Amino acid sequence: MRMLPVLIRLAWRYLWRNHRRTIVMLSAISIGAWAMIFMTALTRGMVDQMITDGISVLPGHVQLHNPEYLDDPSITNRVSLTEAELETRYADAGFEAWASRVRVPAVITSERESRGVTLLGIDPIAERDFSFVDYDKVDGRFLESPDDSGVVIGAKLADTLDTEVGKRIVLMSQDPDNEIADRGFRVVGLFHANMETYEDTYAFIGKKTAQKMLRIGDTTTEVVFFGNDYRNVEPTYEKVAAAVDDSMRVSRWTEVDTYLGTMLSVMDGFMLIWVVVIFLALSFGLVNTLVMAVFERVREIGLMLALGMKPASILGQIIIESMMLLAVGLLIGDALAWLTVKPLESGIDISVVAKGMEMFGASSVLYPKLHMDDVILSNVVVLILGFLASLSPAWRASRYEPVEAITKV
Amino acid sequence: MTAVRCVDICKTYRQGDQDIKALDHLSIDIEKGDFVCLMSPSGGGKTTLLNAIGGLDIPDSGEVWVAEQRIDQMSKGQLADLRLANVGFVFQAYNLIPVLTAQENVEFVMQVQGVPAKERRSKSLAILEEVGLRDLEDRRPAEMSGGQQQRVAVARAIVSRPELVLADEPTANLDSRTSDELMELFTELNKNHSTTFVIATHDQRVQRYAKRLVRMRDGRIVDDIEQDAA
Amino acid sequence: MNIVLRLAWRNLWRHARRTWLTIGAMVFSNTLLVFMISFQFSMYGLMIDNTLQVFSGHMQVQAPGYKDDQKMRQVVLDVQPLAERLRGELDSETIAARGWAFGLASSEERSYGIGIYGVEPEFEGNVSNIPGLIKDGQYLGKSDAMDIVIGGMLARNLRVGVGDELTLLGSGLDGSFAAAVVTIVGVFESGVKEIDRNIAEMPLGAFQEVFYMEGAGHQVVVLAPTLNDAPLVERRIAATLPDNLVVHDWVALQPGLKQAIQADMSSAFFMYGILVILVAFSVLNTQLMSVLERTHEFGVVMALGMRPGRLGRLVMLETTLMGLIGFLLGAAVGALLTYWFSVNGLSYPGMEEMAANFNLPGRVYPQVSLLKTLFGPAVVFLFTLLAAVYPALRLRRLHPVEAMRTI
Repeated sequence: MRMLPVLIRLAWRYLWRNHRRTIVMLSAISIGAWAMIFMTALTRGMVDQMITDGISVLPGHVQLHNPEYLDDPSITNRVSLTEAELETRYADAGFEAWASRVRVPAVITSERESRGVTLLGIDPIAERDFSFVDYDKVDGRFLESPDDSGVVIGAKLADTLDTEVGKRIVLMSQDPDNEIADRGFRVVGLFHANMETYEDTYAFIGKKTAQKMLRIGDTTTEVVFFGNDYRNVEPTYEKVAAAVDDSMRVSRWTEVDTYLGTMLSVMDGFMLIWVVVIFLALSFGLVNTLVMAVFERVREIGLMLALGMKPASILGQIIIESMMLLAVGLLIGDALAWLTVKPLESGIDISVVAKGMEMFGASSVLYPKLHMDDVILSNVVVLILGFLASLSPAWRASRYEPVEAITKV
Repeated sequence: MTAVRCVDICKTYRQGDQDIKALDHLSIDIEKGDFVCLMSPSGGGKTTLLNAIGGLDIPDSGEVWVAEQRIDQMSKGQLADLRLANVGFVFQAYNLIPVLTAQENVEFVMQVQGVPAKERRSKSLAILEEVGLRDLEDRRPAEMSGGQQQRVAVARAIVSRPELVLADEPTANLDSRTSDELMELFTELNKNHSTTFVIATHDQRVQRYAKRLVRMRDGRIVDDIEQDAA
Repeated sequence: MNIVLRLAWRNLWRHARRTWLTIGAMVFSNTLLVFMISFQFSMYGLMIDNTLQVFSGHMQVQAPGYKDDQKMRQVVLDVQPLAERLRGELDSETIAARGWAFGLASSEERSYGIGIYGVEPEFEGNVSNIPGLIKDGQYLGKSDAMDIVIGGMLARNLRVGVGDELTLLGSGLDGSFAAAVVTIVGVFESGVKEIDRNIAEMPLGAFQEVFYMEGAGHQVVVLAPTLNDAPLVERRIAATLPDNLVVHDWVALQPGLKQAIQADMSSAFFMYGILVILVAFSVLNTQLMSVLERTHEFGVVMALGMRPGRLGRLVMLETTLMGLIGFLLGAAVGALLTYWFSVNGLSYPGMEEMAANFNLPGRVYPQVSLLKTLFGPAVVFLFTLLAAVYPALRLRRLHPVEAMRTI
């Protein structure tokens, strides 16, 4: 350990002895590091957005259903607890947000057209914070209470139905006895969403209104819960699960929307692979640089050995040199990534491929995100792999026989 | 007291398809404070002998004793420690670490030994003064002449006051005036600190400074005479 | 062998380890590029084929505006005669007429809103793969029977099976109330949730009767012999259409498809670009070192009368040789890897869930093709040569005397 200062000094000076080679290598490492982090920030931004959007549509980190509901989303498969019972169990359990709602398939009919929709009976006040609809950006107004007698539909659907704010539409579904349950509504608002499909799919009415129309008393079909981090839903899950028995099914968002759940883990895996691929592409150059660096100073290594330096110190010296090269390159790359990502964080408009992004489940504005965790992960992976890659040249350097090394011309 | 003792050492190298006997049953004792000159034509075995004494090379057979310790059976690490503590080296060329300044080169060995920074600094400056390089301490080897570089090498070899200094053709790359200066420096150090010097050379001028002249041929000692040094 | 070539070849192997490491960088990138590009384009091909074969076809004749609004009244009048005429004119069987309406399908127990296609049973199988995906019962027969085939998930949700009756409720073309009782003759499973849950097909004749279509429909679907022939077929059809009809190609019908491919391609090519640049730096480093360490040697041959330009060409030749080895090895390894996967298929954890969104199978068999194999390595080769230009040009600034003085 007491050798460390001298090894660091030697490594640093040797690094700049052949400054051209070092600069070429530093450029390569910087570009690689930049690409790693930039790409990660883009994907991370996209996946974050997708999942946040996706979770706000589901909605919730954790959901509570009748066990039959996910396979057969019918009004007969309701949550067996009444709202009053839910209230006593969950009101003070400390969730970020929670709400019970009615969600059933329905048919919406205007004077001219009919379409299938997902009918959502909600408490607009409870859902304000996590709804995928921005209440303030609704044409007309959003629902104001669970008793609201109006309906809010997507702007796209309104187009298709040839209807507008103030006009009447009919919603039709079925009650638990399989009788047609229908009711006329006045369209009070048109909402806009990041994705066109949402505007096509959802119709909002007041929860109490929905319960009356569907004749289900004060029961609901789903209860949704939010914790504070979509990546860590276990605490929420356990809190919800603790309060229910087998007659209810509690699911994490990753189980409700397997596409999103898979997306998250595939993207995490992809980012690691991307970091490793970049490193491998760099590693050839890195090892090459080290081999050359050792080769051109064989004699000096011999001299140091002859003067009484231990082979381990030679090994350390080469590895430190390699780590320094990587660290400086990574620092430059990190800085470049920061400089390029920061101005883009307000969003990159990629609406030219909006429909394509919708197929991925992503919106048409990309918000790159520089997560400290991702930056640290990529840097650490590069340093660790770099350390491993340097072992072989460094080991060779430390194995020289002083005599042979000195006499080598 | 004996500084170096070699007993019946042999060393054979393979060069191409030929075996070369670099050391052939050679024995020699060197007293502490002696100033020995090893003379031989190229390939006569003097460098091999020097390396064997310095523990850089291990003979095929025989015994090598340095500072009362048998070194031919030591591990690499032990040998490194021995060199660090007891032996100073001056080579023919490429003596210095090119990325370190004169002073840092001198400090290098002490640093490896773990001498505290303050002591290193004062010792290295003192020794650079002694070899006449006080003003050049911040220069790198590439910025110094061949003679100056060899002086730095000498300063480094003696800075930790080793009992034994081994020099392999120290004057080979120097002009005659510079090599005289270097040899005078050696003589002075030998006198002042009674450091043992073993110098391998075929430079005629160097011989004049030796107290003891050992001639070698084909790995054997052919002549061993005491003389009055110049 | 030419003497300069021999010299370049020998120079290359003076530092065999270094040369191999540089070639290694090329082979690594080339292998990855060959494999990734083959895989990627196979996916795109599958995505296009699978998506278009479900319903869209390569093009459709529709009323203007129908594509975006899908309104009942945006009709193609006399749709069957039009399809018949096009089949005759183009001498093709892969043309079929359709109508589409939204309706409420009710069984004893359940009701769901679904999309109902009216199809020509004898031609539908030529333009869509749904008729081939019947898992239970059979596809539609006569073109005016009150029969229906529905998706598997819809059947489960409605709790019905083959032989059961469904009540359809909707509105007809004139806005009047439309209702019919139809018999389920078949259940299909496409594997795509949206389709299996929301779609039913019935004979066009019956469809027109139920929804008061009076001979009208909404689309004529056309499948060209291959995707590449589509533009030509489209022009021929467009020329014969009356003013009140338009023909849309698949890009217009499925805008998401092309854009998804574009979005994926741009991120993929960004990554490929980075790989290529990293290899170029590797080569630059190696060649710069190889020039610098030979300064003395180059000084000598220049003193002997060799022109700097020739030395530059020697360095370029060395790089070319190195690049060629990387090119050949990389292309070969990449092609072999792709070939292995083309036989054994490729899948990764999570691929199945992801792939379903794009009408893709959970296991993909990438195809080896010459173009896709050579494209990546050729770009790498080009950048390899570019990277050697700077070291080669440095030689022009070399002065023999100074050069010989350096060690």
